[in-house]
Amino acid sequence: MPDSELGIGNWELGIGYWELGIENSELEVSMFIRGLVKGLSVTLKHFVQTYLGHTGIRDGQRPDPTLGGLFTVQYPDEKLPMFPRFRGALMHLRNPETGEPNCTACGLCVRACPQQCIEVEGEGKGKERKVTAYRYDLARCIFCRLCVESCNFNAIELSQEYELATYSRDMVWDLQKLLALGDKYDVHETGKAW
Amino acid sequence: MEFLRDFFVNIGLWFSNLLAGFLPGWAVNLIMSLIGVVILVIIGLSSVLVLTLGERKVIGRIQDRIGPNRWGPFGIFQPVADGIKMLTKEDIVPSGADYWVHLLAPIIIMIPALLIYAVLPFGAGLWGADLNIGILYIVALGAIGTIAVLMAGWSSNNKYALLGAFRVVAQLISYEIPMVLSIVAVVLLSGSMSMVTIVESQSVPYIVAMPLVFLVYLVAAFAELYRAPFDMIEADSELVAGYFTEYSGMKFVMFFMAEYINLLAMSAIITTLFLGGWRFFGLERLLPVLGPFIFFAKCAAVIFLFWWVRGTFPRIRIDHLLNLAWKFLVPLALVNLMIVGLVDKLVEGALLTAAVLLAANVVEAVVVLVILSVVGRKARSERLRRITVQAK
Repeated sequence: MPDSELGIGNWELGIGYWELGIENSELEVSMFIRGLVKGLSVTLKHFVQTYLGHTGIRDGQRPDPTLGGLFTVQYPDEKLPMFPRFRGALMHLRNPETGEPNCTACGLCVRACPQQCIEVEGEGKGKERKVTAYRYDLARCIFCRLCVESCNFNAIELSQEYELATYSRDMVWDLQKLLALGDKYDVHETGKAW
Repeated sequence: MEFLRDFFVNIGLWFSNLLAGFLPGWAVNLIMSLIGVVILVIIGLSSVLVLTLGERKVIGRIQDRIGPNRWGPFGIFQPVADGIKMLTKEDIVPSGADYWVHLLAPIIIMIPALLIYAVLPFGAGLWGADLNIGILYIVALGAIGTIAVLMAGWSSNNKYALLGAFRVVAQLISYEIPMVLSIVAVVLLSGSMSMVTIVESQSVPYIVAMPLVFLVYLVAAFAELYRAPFDMIEADSELVAGYFTEYSGMKFVMFFMAEYINLLAMSAIITTLFLGGWRFFGLERLLPVLGPFIFFAKCAAVIFLFWWVRGTFPRIRIDHLLNLAWKFLVPLALVNLMIVGLVDKLVEGALLTAAVLLAANVVEAVVVLVILSVVGRKARSERLRRITVQAK
């Protein structure tokens, strides 16, 4: 029976469509039995698929939903790749030719940071200016990426590092640690994914 | 080789002969009985370890998860870890609780669960006791568990626990009737209440001869075990945890264990009554040692069915639950009983009886479906008419 004949929506009466649409189906009782069997077959299919589709650890690949199977990511044993624009901890980039950090200690990132979690020290004048110390307070960072956007020298980028919990409170990272992170991800250019 | 053919029975005989060499007859009987008790209790208690892990694994796989796999290969030590954790928990008795009833309830629920194992025939010659009223004994023990649940709910001084206990009384009393009526059909056909004789009389397994009786019994068994979709008394989303809300530590573990001991016992009863127990197409005569393995394989199949259903169906409402029992299962079980009685009286020979029963069951199933269809359509068109009038 169409809704217009009732003159009022089924929603408002609180009636399910299955209650009203009964006359379309000739075999509603055998539907009751078939419904049970159908449900059982769905769960059995999923049970069997866990042995045929994805099984166990997948070498860091995201699960393919069309395959079916186990979708559990066994976290410490397997890790999913982060998305290209994932915003993890800050890292410093090197010049691939000289191997020196790109940072010129201009202080733009320090000014851009809303959390004031960056401190930078440098020496030299003009084009000679180099960074000597860089302190990044991970505990205060909100991963907004404003520092990276303010940087004019390809010097910093957010990495994909997300395992940032520590047992101690040494969460102020120095230049060496930030450079090491840059080496780990082997990035030489900011904003590639953005 | 001859010794190995019926290994389990022969090792018992060998041991009792060994004892008879230097002990009087009553002492041999006593020791052999005690050993039997220990074995049965070990089967019951160790089933908890296997079944908890198995259930979590199977339900996990149904939901595309893995289930426990951290502790040992395939997580096989997970139940041990769970047990140690529960052992070290504080035993809390709520204020205002009826202390002695609160203390006794978990004990009373454990004991009948374990006592059922005494009459289960695991193989030819492998049973605790061949009571001539075996199945009646099992039905009687099932009723004691109900009292324990009611005690737990009442003594906890907690409204959710009490509500869970109230529900269980309604549910168990309702479902005991179709269950017992199905058992009566089996007893009629086999001509005995002894579990051993029931198995021996199944030249054709009763699930083939009377599938409808089996279905009624199976649905009632789900309700008797308080398992999904009839887990009204636990109903985690409605009643916190039901009757054992106020239990912690070892007392909680005893409820938990009783549940799984009952699960294996119930699957063993279904195996005995309907699936032919330790028999498997004459294989049990060729190699009697395979009897218990066949028996437990059948049990495992039934238990998988329980898990599978739990992973599939949502919990049904309490009034629907009681409607199903009183308006559908009880009449169906009565008709089943009548058909079994008639066929058993009129037809001679085991094979012919089974064939006629099967045919009668198929006819009955068709008739039931047609009646349900007609009645259901009538009720729904009546309701539709009412709604239409109301809307206008």
